[in-house]
Amino acid sequence: MTREEIIAEINAELAEEFEIDEAAITPDAPIYQTLELDSLSLVDLIGIVQTKYGVLISKTELPNIKTFAQLYDYIEQHQK
Amino acid sequence: MHDVLIIGSGLGGLECGALLAQRGLRVLVLEGSNQPGGCMQSFRRGGLHYDTGLHYVGGLAPGQAMHKAFAQLGLMDLPWQRMDEDFDHVIIGGRHFAFHQGYEAFVEGLAKDFPHQREALQSFVQRLQNITAEDMDVCAYDYLCQTFSDELLLNVVSAAAMKTELRRESLPLFNFAHTCSSYIESSWRLRGDGNLLVNKLIDTIKQAGGEVQTNSRVVRLTEDDGRITKAICADGTTYEAGYFISDIHPAVLCQLLEECPSVRKAFRRRMTSGENTCGMFTAQLCIKPDALRYFGHNVFVYDKPNVWTMTEENDPVKGVMISARVPEDGSEALRQIDLLTPMPWHECQPWTETKVGHRGEDYKDFCRRKAEQCITLAEQYIPDLRSMIETCYTSTPLTYRDYLGSPEGGAFGMRKDCRASMLSFHSVNTPLPNLLLTGQSVILPGIEGVTMTAFETCNKIIQDNAR
Ligand SMILES: Cc1cc2nc3c(=O)[nH]c(=O)nc-3n(C[C@H](O)[C@H](O)[C@H](O)COP(=O)(O)OP(=O)(O)OC[C@H]3O[C@@H](n4cnc5c(N)ncnc54)[C@H](O)[C@@H]3O)c2cc1C
Repeated sequence: MTREEIIAEINAELAEEFEIDEAAITPDAPIYQTLELDSLSLVDLIGIVQTKYGVLISKTELPNIKTFAQLYDYIEQHQK
Repeated sequence: MHDVLIIGSGLGGLECGALLAQRGLRVLVLEGSNQPGGCMQSFRRGGLHYDTGLHYVGGLAPGQAMHKAFAQLGLMDLPWQRMDEDFDHVIIGGRHFAFHQGYEAFVEGLAKDFPHQREALQSFVQRLQNITAEDMDVCAYDYLCQTFSDELLLNVVSAAAMKTELRRESLPLFNFAHTCSSYIESSWRLRGDGNLLVNKLIDTIKQAGGEVQTNSRVVRLTEDDGRITKAICADGTTYEAGYFISDIHPAVLCQLLEECPSVRKAFRRRMTSGENTCGMFTAQLCIKPDALRYFGHNVFVYDKPNVWTMTEENDPVKGVMISARVPEDGSEALRQIDLLTPMPWHECQPWTETKVGHRGEDYKDFCRRKAEQCITLAEQYIPDLRSMIETCYTSTPLTYRDYLGSPEGGAFGMRKDCRASMLSFHSVNTPLPNLLLTGQSVILPGIEGVTMTAFETCNKIIQDNAR
């Protein structure tokens, strides 16, 4: 999957699952605020990435993913 | 208006009810079926009580894992009977081994048969005593392979863990260790049926002014301003409360939350897409009077050393747990034995659309055949068992699904996966601050796991109230 395909797909998925406007998702936007995540729904985000791409975001790397661009990077680098 | 409304009267629901009622909160427990207790309930046939999900409990001696919790819940007043010093016997491929109570005795007992693995056994029990949340990420099977070079011993130490779901790729060491350690500390059976435990908890709730209502299936929860305000039952009755605790399967809970805007799709998806553990087939035998002496240990019989893979090919039955019931009248002979073997959901496929009592002749034949296979394996320990049987009652995962509403009749709730611990172990919190989870699907199954979780669930409410 190319980066563009990942971006299109994950943006649509996150907007649907977290029930927000897809237009709010931009590469530099902060994930936590945009998706209104707390410690519980953060686990839901990890779940979506895992089911969709088979990519498990590890506990240690979680703090490094703050923007959507960093999330795309992570998926791109780790997808099988 | 109640302070706390609890959905489901399984062990976790009743324990939360008792703990919170003791704290002075007004508690209401709503149970969907006509009998309280969930997996703890017993049923009566031909003048005898049969249990469903209660065979033995570990760690009830003073100072041990479960003693304090059960004492606080009033459950230490029940007639617990300590099992034999050699509490679990294991037979694999015709060879006989025993687990002894106490970590040192456990090591010594097995080191007699496996002298070359004494150090490995010592390191194993050390590890069991030092389990932390980090072991949720450790694969139990990999750990055992690294610890024991003798494959037979690896199978032997895993044999009694049939009471959890043994899956090589996913079972976390955290879960495996919890199904072993408290029993090694000390093992106990109840002299009497599971309803003793259920009724004791209900008494505690009632004495503190709470209520437990059966035939009250909750079908919907309503949200107002980010909090759950009401539970609506199948008959239309509505109950209001300040807090809500769910002791039901999280996927079933999500169906009740369909109209709650604070619960986003992502949470629903995580709770409904999680896998379920394997169910159990049970053959409950009524033994002819004076035909068999009571034995105070369990026996786990396996055809071959394939403890970790047998459910992949469990037809015919490859392993069985034999649990004897304490004779209530104090006589030397027993009247009841349970035989249990894991039964994956795919074996239930032909009858998934059927209901209790209307599953057809082919289902009865299936159950008879499976019971026969269990009995054949059990005869490795009790020769001629077949001739001692007066009656045999069977149940399958379908029975648990239909009586308790557990999806796929999973015996231990939702599966935990060491490769994705964050996703499979759950928090007691939900997106709604006054709705909490409890029960076997959250962290750990079994009496110990459910009790630990009940304390955690209640602590949230107690801390909240203290603020
Ligand atoms: C065959 C078998 C043997 C076992 N043996 C042992 C053992 O020896 N030792 C041990 O420690 N553990 C054992 N266990 C495990 C143990 O019994 C369970 O982990 C524990 O009892 C589960 O408790 P729970 O609180 O999760 O609730 P459950 O028992 O799952 O009960 C949930 C309750 O909620 C009710 N309910 C469902 N939906 C609704 C609704 N919409 N509204 C209202 N009520 C609803 C159900 O009717 C049920 O009563 C065994 C389990 C099985 C299946």
